[in-house]
Amino acid sequence: MNHSQSLDEDCTLEEEEEGQVEEEDDIDQFNDDTFGAGAVDDDWQEEHARLAELDERVRDVFAGGDASNASLPPPPGSVPHPSSLPRPSASTLPPPGLEERRGGDLAESLTRLLLGSDPAIAGVGAAEPDHSRFPPMSQAQVPLSGLPAPHPSLLSYQQHQHLLHRGGTPLPQVNSHSIWENNMGFGPVSVSPGLVTHMEDSPLMSIIKEVGLPKRPPPIRGEDGLDLSERVPPPRSSSPVIGSPPVRAVPIGTPPKQPLSHTLNQQIHCPTAVHVRAPIQHRFPPPFPERLSPNTLLNIANSPLCRPPFPAGVGPVLSQIQRAQLLNSQVGPFSRGGPAPPMLPGGGGGFRPFFSQPPPRVGHHVPPPNHNPIRHNTTHLHPQHRRMLTQRMQSRGDRGGRVGDRRSRDPYSNLMTQKEKEWVARIQMMQLQSTDPYLDDYYYQNYYEKMEKRLERDKDSIRKEPTTKLITPQVAKLEQTYRPVQFAGSLGKLTVSSVNNPRKMIDAVVTTRTDDEEKREKQVWNKRRQILYTVEKMYSLLLEVQDFEKKFLQTPEEQREALLEQHKTHTLQLYNSLKEKEWEDRVSDEQCLMIMSVRKGKRLMSRLLPFLPPPQAAAVVMGIARNLPALAKKDKHDQVLCWLVEPVAVVIQSMSSSALTDLLQELQGSEGQLPRVLQNKFGVTLLYLILSEGERMQSSDPNCQLMDDNRWTELVFSVTRELLKVPSSSLSPPLFTPPNLLSLFSRYVDRQRLELLQEKLQITALSR
Amino acid sequence: MNYMPGTASLIEDIDKKHLVLLRDGRTLIGILRSIDQFANLVLHQTVERIHVGKKFGDIPRGIFVVRGENVVLLGEVDLDKECDQILQRVSIEEILEEQRIEQQAKQESERLKLQAVKERGLSIPKADTLDDF
Repeated sequence: MNHSQSLDEDCTLEEEEEGQVEEEDDIDQFNDDTFGAGAVDDDWQEEHARLAELDERVRDVFAGGDASNASLPPPPGSVPHPSSLPRPSASTLPPPGLEERRGGDLAESLTRLLLGSDPAIAGVGAAEPDHSRFPPMSQAQVPLSGLPAPHPSLLSYQQHQHLLHRGGTPLPQVNSHSIWENNMGFGPVSVSPGLVTHMEDSPLMSIIKEVGLPKRPPPIRGEDGLDLSERVPPPRSSSPVIGSPPVRAVPIGTPPKQPLSHTLNQQIHCPTAVHVRAPIQHRFPPPFPERLSPNTLLNIANSPLCRPPFPAGVGPVLSQIQRAQLLNSQVGPFSRGGPAPPMLPGGGGGFRPFFSQPPPRVGHHVPPPNHNPIRHNTTHLHPQHRRMLTQRMQSRGDRGGRVGDRRSRDPYSNLMTQKEKEWVARIQMMQLQSTDPYLDDYYYQNYYEKMEKRLERDKDSIRKEPTTKLITPQVAKLEQTYRPVQFAGSLGKLTVSSVNNPRKMIDAVVTTRTDDEEKREKQVWNKRRQILYTVEKMYSLLLEVQDFEKKFLQTPEEQREALLEQHKTHTLQLYNSLKEKEWEDRVSDEQCLMIMSVRKGKRLMSRLLPFLPPPQAAAVVMGIARNLPALAKKDKHDQVLCWLVEPVAVVIQSMSSSALTDLLQELQGSEGQLPRVLQNKFGVTLLYLILSEGERMQSSDPNCQLMDDNRWTELVFSVTRELLKVPSSSLSPPLFTPPNLLSLFSRYVDRQRLELLQEKLQITALSR
Repeated sequence: MNYMPGTASLIEDIDKKHLVLLRDGRTLIGILRSIDQFANLVLHQTVERIHVGKKFGDIPRGIFVVRGENVVLLGEVDLDKECDQILQRVSIEEILEEQRIEQQAKQESERLKLQAVKERGLSIPKADTLDDF
């Protein structure tokens, strides 16, 4: 091309005759630009004819003769020997025979062809074994076959086009017809299954497979162990340790294919169970990752108990019985709650669900063995639950199993194989894996515990079954910090999202803004947030303390000491967060107020009190009494102070007399506190509680120290004065009125006042 | 014995005759052949049963694949009890006719109701957004 250009230039200067030539050359130049070098260098027609012949042969090989046309990309440089290609005969030859005969030559030439062309583009033409197309195609083929190799000119461009369009997706060509480029995609290559086996042999086919058939449904290809390098994403620079499933062509959700056991087994059992972590870019799934697909579970569980090869018809019956026997034998060595056998470690293994269908009776009327005991090593039921189920099952097993009879005559039965059933069941079971049953299934556990206790109580002597505690296999928490998959050499953050790792959409970064106006508003919110935060922290401590008892029962002897220590520290911490910095026996007013200003905090306090040791609890109650007016004010909305009544009552009843006196004093506190206290329901209740307790003390124990100093008496006097002074409207009805108040008052006040009080209190009692 | 969670409990029901009620109101009766984790069902020799009053008619449908989310409920059919039925079986044409009549009657009553309501100056919003029925 370049030479001709220079020649042109030379020519233009010299002769005019060559102007015409020049023009033609110019046109050629345009041609060149449009169609590429091949337009000038090669005679495309010639090329095409040659290749058309080739194509025919390929078609014959592939589709047994009936094929739509497509043309192969001509190689840029090297041209296959036309002589090496035998002429195509009529398209009636059977494919295998053809393959064998032409395999060598064809393979060679096609190899060269394909290797020469752009690997990304080269695909074999759409070949459809479509019988309906046979008649029209044969016409098209005749002119082609009629072409001797060096005379391609018979095939006009139009015919060529026609053929192209007749065929399936037109193939991209590198050379002169390079207008069709890579993005064409690949046409569906439907190959008759009989040819697949033959295809294994020739190198040509392997190339074609590798390069040209990505649109094939992946499962078949993938399971043959082929490497569809086209479809694999670029290599990863980082990959989460566990969680992201390996690159696989088969999506996780597909049910197992029928003849699958040995291929997958090989794939999965090649990496031995020693490896705990899957190395990056490891193609096989890590042996026991946190997330297992049902397929892997199936294979891991099934492989040690491989099914013997039975013909399909006999299969279901025997395998079920066989398996039942196997499992029955398995049940023996497994101690209940013992460690799982090494081949089924952790929570991943051991899920072999049972199906209660009695096997269809084949001919003989042999009663099926009751092969549905509940496996002890599989589902982690509470022992009580398991007992109930066995009972239920036994009672049901006595009833009919007639259905099996009917099913044996049903020709469509067992369309769903045992494997598939297990697979479905396994998916459900996987969801039940739990690392902490108390966390995940709190109510279930509690319910069965209660039931057990109840049964124990009722049938104490009859049943001598030891109360078993549920010991679940702890699936190790393998959750590491999740590092998302990153690809090597990629611009930006490409993420691969999978079922297990949904895509991280936003990179959230914390930024703080300083703006004066917002500050003030924020402060308010911050304060509230602070309070809530404190409350939350205290709650977590409290929950630890509450759960102590349960944990205590579960832990073995040696660790009990440590647990006890831990418990003590927790309780201490709880109190510490409430108390004053310096004083041990006084609760910080500020803290108290802060916490109690939120509803959650009040709840917290009410739950907290029972767990504190008496002196500390007393201090807390004092604090409450001291700050009661403020608390009452804050409680106007919620009205939930009354949650505190019960725990406070308990505390009061365990108080000493001096403490009680102190408490009463606190309650009265400063001037005007008492009226406000009386306005609040809780306040009144608290007051009554104190008084009632005092009275109880006095009446029960004549030597009680309550009367040692005059404080108690004085306080009660002031209380009575206040009660009488306060108008009834501002006297809030209490939650309950202790019965011994009257006797208390009768000690201290005269008749008249007593009657008045009685009236008032009765009013309040009635208006409850 | 049924301690299988969720869909797995259907495994026991395979190859048994079931009655399936769909969200659009259809009743299918067929032999349950296959399930998956979403409780998609494959019913074999399915029959769609239309009930009108005390009569019913069956339309044979062949094989049905039902998407799990469209199932309201399903239950096994007791083959013994199926024989003694109070309902009267009629031909397909008849039952379809009956159904049509029933639909018409319903529409008519709806129309009247709407009219009466309109007369009183009220309006009932159309239940366009309601699902099914």
